Amino acid sequence: MNAENILEVRNLVKEFGDHRVIDGVSVGVTKGEVVFLLGPSGAGKSTVMRCMNFLETPTGGEVLFHGEPVNRSESGLNHYRAKVGMVFQHFNLFANLTILDNITLAPMKCGLMSRTEAETQALHLLHRIGLRDKARAYPSQLSGGQKQRVAIVRALAMNPEVLLFDEPTSALDPEMVGEVENLMRELARDGMTMLVVSHDTDFAMELADRIVFLADGKVVVDAPPSVIAASDNSRIRDFFSLR
Amino acid sequence: MHGILYKKVLAVMLAFMALFLTSCGEKQEERSKLIMVTNATFPPYEFYQGERIVGIDADMVREIARRNNYELVIEDMAFDSVIAAVQTGKGDVAASGITVTEDRKKQIDFTTSYVKADQVIIVREDSDVTGPENMKGKRIGVQHGTTGDMYVAANIQEPERFQDGALAVASLVTGKIDAVVLDSAPAEEHVARNAGIRILPVALVSEEYALAISKSRPELLAMFNKTMAEMKADGTMDEIWARYLDKDGKPLAVPAVDTEEKGLWGRMVASFEVNFVKDNRWSYLVNGFLITIEISFCAVLMGLCIGFLVAVVRSAHDQTGRYKVLNFLCHIYLTVVRGTPVVVQLLIIYFVIFGSVDVSKVLVAIVAFGVNSGAYVAEIIRSGIMAVDGGQMEAGRSLGLSYGTTMRSVILPQAFKNVLPALGNEFIVLLKETSVCGYIALQDLTKGGDIIRSQTYDAFLPLIVVALIYLVVVVCLSQLLKKLENSLKKNER
Repeated sequence: MNAENILEVRNLVKEFGDHRVIDGVSVGVTKGEVVFLLGPSGAGKSTVMRCMNFLETPTGGEVLFHGEPVNRSESGLNHYRAKVGMVFQHFNLFANLTILDNITLAPMKCGLMSRTEAETQALHLLHRIGLRDKARAYPSQLSGGQKQRVAIVRALAMNPEVLLFDEPTSALDPEMVGEVENLMRELARDGMTMLVVSHDTDFAMELADRIVFLADGKVVVDAPPSVIAASDNSRIRDFFSLR
Repeated sequence: MHGILYKKVLAVMLAFMALFLTSCGEKQEERSKLIMVTNATFPPYEFYQGERIVGIDADMVREIARRNNYELVIEDMAFDSVIAAVQTGKGDVAASGITVTEDRKKQIDFTTSYVKADQVIIVREDSDVTGPENMKGKRIGVQHGTTGDMYVAANIQEPERFQDGALAVASLVTGKIDAVVLDSAPAEEHVARNAGIRILPVALVSEEYALAISKSRPELLAMFNKTMAEMKADGTMDEIWARYLDKDGKPLAVPAVDTEEKGLWGRMVASFEVNFVKDNRWSYLVNGFLITIEISFCAVLMGLCIGFLVAVVRSAHDQTGRYKVLNFLCHIYLTVVRGTPVVVQLLIIYFVIFGSVDVSKVLVAIVAFGVNSGAYVAEIIRSGIMAVDGGQMEAGRSLGLSYGTTMRSVILPQAFKNVLPALGNEFIVLLKETSVCGYIALQDLTKGGDIIRSQTYDAFLPLIVVALIYLVVVVCLSQLLKKLENSLKKNER
């Protein structure tokens, strides 16, 4: 694979009991790239992503960060995860903390910043997404779209090298999908390295540098949108609603 | 930030607990004390007059102590605990109208006997029972652990066992049982104070009373026998007897049974006056109440601390696989403590674990109830931790936070909020559970009611009032908890 990959998995295998969900998947992302992982439900897309930051433990294969295997010790994983951020389908904002505290908790606890530095950065980030006035509110007081944008900003506060998005808009009402996708466009434009699992094929075709199509636990195709659009694979054509 | 707030609360609670524990333990001084253990519900041998325990046994042992330069301390406990108390050294001598039997001689040594007594049968005025020959099949009441208990069980049938004679007599008067077998002197007292009952002329069996002393204290036994002989010779024994019994062996100064017809309200007022106003009997309840609150409060704190630690260890093990040994120990603790009754745990801690150590009974009670509560609190908190959405932990970890930091800052605060109702419930249960600490002669609120009842022979009012006091405390506690819950919820809506 590409030696410049910031983050990649090689021959990844994941079994849940007897069920082999991922069967030898190799995917990588280089600096500044936006890669979308797409495929039918149950194809293993989210599992690939969760293996990447070890929320699931791979059964086989390797996870490489800057070409080196990830240090899987307790502190090694913590360090690694500080550099590889994740945004969840169900937001997972800390319910007992204010929005501001949600964003400042990790930078402070990981020793990256002092309280004042963390709060200044947090307020700046909230201002960028137009939610500065919600700093003292609690997650339960926000709408879904607001929560997800805060979740993205919370991950950004750690200055990660890569951002993983696990179906970021799947739990949102249609009118809120737009505000989240706009933020993702901004991040891509600013050069953030992003790996996105999604069902939104139009968004993928628009934003992705590469699309990786997974089915039955294997990579079917790994190519830029233009190549996908010209594909004559009927399954792909059906999935992407290509005429 | 919420993490800091509840860390502060935890620190304050720990400080309070330390403060209370040090104030709970009494300073143990040089022993020139003689400890007499007894069950002070047995007039005229031992009974309460105000704060003091008096009676033939009490006065006699007090005099023996004085003549040998000891300061007498009397401990009141359940009758069937007095011999165990002497055996384990919790008391020096047991003086409780104890009958000499061969079985008891195996456990302790007896002094020379100081009185002959009969086991008699008390029945209602209209009863058709005339003696042991027609008692089989009737409901017979006795005091638990007495020779009356043993005699009836061995020769007639299994009796109904009561904690003290007054309770048995109360059951007889209200028609719940048909006969009571009791020692003759207290039987006379009970009959004199209650209308509608009489003693059968035929006694069941004749016995002798003596004082009980540990087999490992022969010098103490010799001292008692010597002084008792002296007191018999110089007439002091007769003089003590005469304070309580007249020449025919009947109790002195018995209040006339009130036959005047009063209306219901009049009877209630009179009952109230006798039970609480007379001799400042209300002070039993007040002092008992303070003890109950003190024990409950400290035990709650202790239970919280233990439960919290155990819950965290168990959760960490389930979620990360670490702390295998600690987790195993926690499993044992939880199984044992939740698998045995708290009364048994209390008695074990008092008689076995602290058996040969002189510690304050309040401290023993706090330890027993704290350790017991901790097991239930641990599982409550653990269930609260498991109820927190898994995504919270995933989000924390994926930001690079350690397991411990995520627990402290995110999971535990939410877990506490989840289980506040269940925790509150546990503490309300704990408050009422402390009512059994009378088993180790601790005078809490319930025991205060017992003492009043043993003096006034009135079961109704003391029990109702004690129940009401518990009820008021529980209601106040529930209100406080509700306020706490609401203020915590306020932040999230």
